[in-house]
Amino acid sequence: MSLLETRDLVYTYAPRTPFEKTALKQVSVAIEEGELVGVIGHTGSGKSTLIQHLNGLLRPTAGQVLLDGKDIWEEPKKIRAVRFAVGMVFQYPEHQLFEETVYKDIAFGPKNQGLSEEKIDSRVREAAKAVELSDDLLEKSPFELSGGQKRRVAIAGVMAMRPRILILDEPTAGLDPRGRDRVLRLIRQYRDAHNTTVILVSHSMEDVARIADRVLVMNGGEVAMLDTAANVFSRGEELTEMGLSVPAVTRIWMELRKRGLDVGENVYTVAQAAERLLPLLKGGDARVD
Amino acid sequence: MLTDITIGQFFPGNSLLHRLDPRIKLVLTLFYIVLVFVPQNWLGLLIAVAFLIVALACSRLPARLILRSLKPTVPIILLTAIINLFYVAGDVLWSWWIFTITYQGVTTAVFIAIRLLCLIAGSSLLTYTTSPTTLTDAMERLLKPLKWLHINIHELAMMMTIALRFIPTLIEETDQIMSAQKARGADMESGGLMQRVRALVPVLIPLFVSAFRRAIDLAMAMECRCYHGGKGRTRMKQLHMQARDYMSLAVAALVLAGIILLNIYIPATI
Amino acid sequence: MEMLRTENLRFQYEYEEEAPTLVLDDLNLTIEEGSFVALLGHNGSGKSTLAKHFNAIQLPTGGRVLVRDMDTADESLCLKIRQTVGMVLQNPDNQLVSTIVEEDVAFGPENLGIPPAEIAQRVTDALQLVGMEAYRDHAPHKLSGGQKQRVAIAGILAMQPDCLVLDEPTAMLDPQGRKEVLETVRRLNRERGMTVVLITHYMEEAAQADRVVVMDDGHILRDGTPKEVFACVEELRAVALDVPQPTELCHLLRKAGIDLPSDVLTVEECVDALLKYKGVGE
Repeated sequence: MSLLETRDLVYTYAPRTPFEKTALKQVSVAIEEGELVGVIGHTGSGKSTLIQHLNGLLRPTAGQVLLDGKDIWEEPKKIRAVRFAVGMVFQYPEHQLFEETVYKDIAFGPKNQGLSEEKIDSRVREAAKAVELSDDLLEKSPFELSGGQKRRVAIAGVMAMRPRILILDEPTAGLDPRGRDRVLRLIRQYRDAHNTTVILVSHSMEDVARIADRVLVMNGGEVAMLDTAANVFSRGEELTEMGLSVPAVTRIWMELRKRGLDVGENVYTVAQAAERLLPLLKGGDARVD
Repeated sequence: MLTDITIGQFFPGNSLLHRLDPRIKLVLTLFYIVLVFVPQNWLGLLIAVAFLIVALACSRLPARLILRSLKPTVPIILLTAIINLFYVAGDVLWSWWIFTITYQGVTTAVFIAIRLLCLIAGSSLLTYTTSPTTLTDAMERLLKPLKWLHINIHELAMMMTIALRFIPTLIEETDQIMSAQKARGADMESGGLMQRVRALVPVLIPLFVSAFRRAIDLAMAMECRCYHGGKGRTRMKQLHMQARDYMSLAVAALVLAGIILLNIYIPATI
Repeated sequence: MEMLRTENLRFQYEYEEEAPTLVLDDLNLTIEEGSFVALLGHNGSGKSTLAKHFNAIQLPTGGRVLVRDMDTADESLCLKIRQTVGMVLQNPDNQLVSTIVEEDVAFGPENLGIPPAEIAQRVTDALQLVGMEAYRDHAPHKLSGGQKQRVAIAGILAMQPDCLVLDEPTAMLDPQGRKEVLETVRRLNRERGMTVVLITHYMEEAAQADRVVVMDDGHILRDGTPKEVFACVEELRAVALDVPQPTELCHLLRKAGIDLPSDVLTVEECVDALLKYKGVGE
């Protein structure tokens, strides 16, 4: 049994009006415990609609969302429990900060979970540590922080709820390269430390290539691919046809192969590419057709 | 969802109503608000309703849009109608404990409900067919005489334009913040009144912060585009009164005259 | 000819009375007319502050800024300067004033007191330049991010500026929107001779400029062609900047002793260099 699963999920915006639009068509995906899944697709591909179903913010028009094999809408009154199990970090999450101090803001989620004071305290400190916020920042107003710090506070606010599944929608949008690298590293670290299942939505193929175990490609409200990163990026031509850009190193690989250099199976990170090319270039044993 | 709100929205088009001079439309709407309160008999009211239906037909907008604009106001209208229903004295139709319903009460309630519905539908029609900027532009021009009172009409108009521009943006943002807080376990659907008010804090604070941030950005963007108040400012769109504008004024005047005549010749219903 | 020039430009915020930090520290930069300059630097390096000096949104604490020999500190030249150097901001939502695209584009020329008939013509021209003329009557909030940003650019173009300063115009856009905006900017530079200063975090965008200026801590760290600047991989890394992936790949291979050129920027150049090394496809 998969941890989280959708079965023939259909969602229609504004049904029975002229603005009616089917955003998801029969989407069936299964997410396993402990994996890091990257979700890509261009704007309007249905990826945002899909993830909002996973924690019960949207209710399916048809089909089911199963958590531990149980339909999350079986008892609509208990949907809050689902939202605690499936934590969601929205786009530009720093825009939702509202408390007087960073500490209180991170504590908002755990408090809503009805935890005891001590438990809340340990959760807040743990989450702050996970996103590398120093203790002196905890008593500051979140509005005094830099953009990158605010982003990390907002992510900590969801981590502090200790969800079993952590969904992040474009967590690196608008950050500079330093901030982007840091957020990605922290997500990866958190996953490794807690074995939390992570679903990462991103426009950046490079980001997804760097940290995801499996990649889900959405296109036109349907699942176009769901496979290991290596297998997905080996279908570079198809991705390009969908209007998605593959990482530049993957493009180099595709081009080298086209020009007759046998470079073996696809790569999608710079480190991989260098590692693979070195023996080829040094040893001179590359086969040329 | 919050995004269903249509009041103040504009639906672009090219109908007769869309093309009318905005100043005339504004005057006509004020005129119509008066007109709705003049009739004292069913025939007069019928004419007022008919006037609205003709205007709606001229706008080529689906009637459904108007109905949707009325939906949020139904509770207020019902309340007004119910108060009238119970408090108008006259021939008793039904009575229980301290509640008494009279024939006159029923008539008044229905009459007033129709008036209010016409009023709201009429003003919605104005915003539906007139772009907010055009509307504020018309207001600015109509209110120019107020300069005498040292009121800065241009600034008021600019503020209104910006408010209208950002309403959809902020509504969308409210939706997003609510989702984000719900995802953190905020409970906005249950509890007593106080609890619900308190549950709004995590939504309102980020919304204010965001509105301020947007305001700062916008002020800079406007400076970058050489905004320096109303002095020496020209407008791309010039307003010229045309035959259709005079015609519509004349028609409205005729309808009002008709309703007044009916008031004189037919005994009052309310 | 010279479009922009800063002379010993210093800037600090006034409200920081104790221990004020210099956001811009003795900065000298000249930007030639018709050039396409990318400005890089991590958040807080001072690049946005510098951009705001180019059209008198911010005024120097020390030194001066000249726009076509007009001193930005001269208040009487303010409107002329802002008309010459147009600025596009990061968030497209927050810079559109009107609820209709064409009325928004008209906002700038209206402020300048241009006669109505000419405004209409300018609006049409500006919308055509950014490929948005089909959306004249649309409401901006219904457009995609890339489309909104193009409308914002049109709003600046309608003032007929000679120079366009864009402060991270693509940061909030999806890849499609980013492409639209960058293509528009490049076309304006190439076909209209528009001077462009583009602030960005995307190295692939910077690689398309004629010149890259890297800022760090209120100073200029590097200034040169993209090939020259991106060749300094380690130095850029030290100030938390990226390099394009092809450049990085060649750099890693060079470090391992493979003799590849240091100025590789694009996928094509990288493939060519690798095949040349291997002696294939010549």
